[in-house]
This record gives sequence, structure tokens and C-alpha cells, in this order.
Amino acid sequence: MEFKDYYQILGIDRATAIPDIKKAYRKLARKYHPDISKEPDAALRMQEINEAKAVLTDPEKRAAYDQLGEHYRAGQEFRPPPDWDAGFEFSGRNYEDVDLGEFSDFFTDLFSHVGRRSTGSHHRVRGLDRHAKVFIDLRDTYDGATRSVTLHAPQTDPQGHVYLQQHNLKVRIPKGITEGQHIRLAGQGHPGTGGGESGDLYLEIHFTPNPDYRVEGKDVFATLLVAPWEAALGTSLTMPTPSGQVQLKVPKGSQSGRKLRLKGRGIPSSEPGDLYFVLNVVLPPANTDKARQLYESMARDIPFNPRQKR
Amino acid sequence: MVENNIVNGEILDETTLTLEEFAHACAVERQWVKERVESGMLGDGTHYVSQWRFTSHDLIRARRLRQMEYDFDAVPELAALVADLFEEIERLKGRLRAAGLPFH
Repeated sequence: MEFKDYYQILGIDRATAIPDIKKAYRKLARKYHPDISKEPDAALRMQEINEAKAVLTDPEKRAAYDQLGEHYRAGQEFRPPPDWDAGFEFSGRNYEDVDLGEFSDFFTDLFSHVGRRSTGSHHRVRGLDRHAKVFIDLRDTYDGATRSVTLHAPQTDPQGHVYLQQHNLKVRIPKGITEGQHIRLAGQGHPGTGGGESGDLYLEIHFTPNPDYRVEGKDVFATLLVAPWEAALGTSLTMPTPSGQVQLKVPKGSQSGRKLRLKGRGIPSSEPGDLYFVLNVVLPPANTDKARQLYESMARDIPFNPRQKR
Repeated sequence: MVENNIVNGEILDETTLTLEEFAHACAVERQWVKERVESGMLGDGTHYVSQWRFTSHDLIRARRLRQMEYDFDAVPELAALVADLFEEIERLKGRLRAAGLPFH
């Protein structure tokens, strides 16, 4: 395990007072906030700065960390010595608020057992609920599917120390789920203490971007490329959709942007969404003599000015 | 809930969360939720506490409010304003996506 220099993470020195630590934290939290940041490692950086803030703004944890970290540098191989925290009083404040699965092994090794020991295990406390985002394919919500979710769950060893254990969960994705909805998995959250029941796991569903389909609520949109004569004269096409092939009639006189609605072919549910094919008329290039002649003939014979107001 | 090692869950919104479940899911006190519902920052405006039910949308919103308040020491009203703006951006991004237009 590598030593984490929380001061370096927040870009502050060891003498920084708590109000300035919070200021440094807020500046970084704004930069790496998962809702807005475009930085590729935003989630990891946010985890680090949350950890750094949790330790350095808590006088008890900070004092213990300072003494422990005196002789270590960031990235240096590190093992916490046994009873490293002897002589420090921990109130265990905030421990129940912290989802250890969101913090690093380094933090968990140092501080998780501290809170647990001081809060005592004789209280019957329900485990924390956990949250995770899961990306599924659009087709999964049409047919239902099973997806593997990897979680880092805190476990307690016989000495009462908490460590992070990775476990995989196979989850059934119910048919008809939409973006932003949650699947609640009862009892799959953090374990309770003192015989308390485990928390729940909430999976927030997101669709992986699909080059063929776009989704808005329960409605699904696809682009249908058509040739000018198909749009002008109308045609019948066989098109793939997430729920199988369909026969599609392009009405004559169609223009780019026209939406063809297939009722009930969107995301399935008791009130299913619709599937829309949005027409996009694509012009053939005038790159042969024959094509040029045809365009010239149209220009000559069809009285048409697209800029003229009708 | 475990069947052949595959875990079955329930879709939130088909079943909604009670105040108790919702507060636990957001890792906040019930009072925190009550204050924000009563001041119109959360929920659907239902008057009676016993009838309060919370959806997936509420869960995302409440966790975002909590995060804003925790990360930036934001007053609840400011956190709610930021959450409103996020939701508006998401709605507009959704419309851009549906129209096949890029937004980055």
C-alpha cells in the first residue's frame, strides 16, 4: 500500500488551519465535481480530496495522521504499525456518514476500525445503504438482462479491523428500466452492526452511448438516411429496431427532419415509449458525367428554389 | 432475493421510498429531508408527511443537495438552485441528444 500525502493532495502545507483547508478543498471540489468535471480522472481525484478533507478537518484524525506521516512521502510503500493510533482519542464522529467503499484502502486501513471501536458494536445499527452507477445497453431494457457489478465492500476481521473486499454481484436488469431510474437490491448494502440488518444497494441506471439510437425518457430516436427519390416518391423499407425488424413506409413528399413514429416500439412498460425514425435526406454526389447530367436536368426542368418562402 | 447467484431487485418508481427509507438511502436525518420537502426543495409538494413518497428523481436530487451542502458548505437554498440548474442542463442535453446534436 502506498502512503497518501493528504496535504499534497489538497495543495496545502502542514501548518494550514481548518478554514483554509476547507477553502482549498472547495476549490478542488469545484474542479473535480463529478457532475461537471471533464477531467478523465475526476472520480478518483474527488475520492482523494474527500478523503484528505475527512482526515485533515477532523482534529483527532489529523493529529494521528501527522504523527504517523512524519517520516513518509507520497507514494512510499507503507504499512501502518500495530497500535499506531494508541494514545489518540477518537470520538467516532461522522463514521456512520462515511461510505467506506468510496474511500481508498489507505484510509480504510487507518481509520475505519477507529470509529467502529469507539462507537461500540453493542448498538444494533442498520448498515449504510450503498450507491453505484451501472451502464447497460439499450437492448438490455428491451429484453431484460443480467449484469455483473463489482463492489468494494468493507468486511470486519476477527480483531474488529475493517478491510475492503471486492465482490462481484450478478444483477438482473428488469425489462423496461429507463435512464436515471434505480434498482434497489435489498440487503446488499453495508453490513449492520450489533445484529442490525444490512443496508440496501441502489444501482443508478445509465445507458451506454449507442451510435444508432438516442433515448429521451421512454422514447427512442434513430436517424433514417434516405435518398432524395425515396423521400420525394415514398418507399417501403425493412429496418432493424431494438425490438426486431420492422417494415417502414416513408410517405411521399418527405423532407429531412420528418419523424416517423412507431407507436409502442420505444422502451417497454405498461405505457411503452415510442420509437421515432428521423429522416435525413442524403444527396448523391455529382461525381460522374451521368450524375451531373441528371442534376443539370433537374435544375432545368424542376422549378425549385429552396430559399423561396412558400 | 438471491436465486442461482443472480440478485433480483425492484425498480424504484414502481415502488417508491418512504421518508424513513429515503433518509437512510441519502445518509441523512429524517429532519433534513422534512425541512427540504417543507420548503419546496424536494418531493412533489404533498402536504401530509404520512403520504410522502420518494422516487428515483428525488433520490438523485437529494444526494446532489447533500453533496453540495457538504462539499461547499452551501446553504440549502443555494444547493437547491444548483440542483435546479443541473436538472435544466440535463433536460436540455437530453433534447440535444434526441435531436442527434452534439453538446460537448
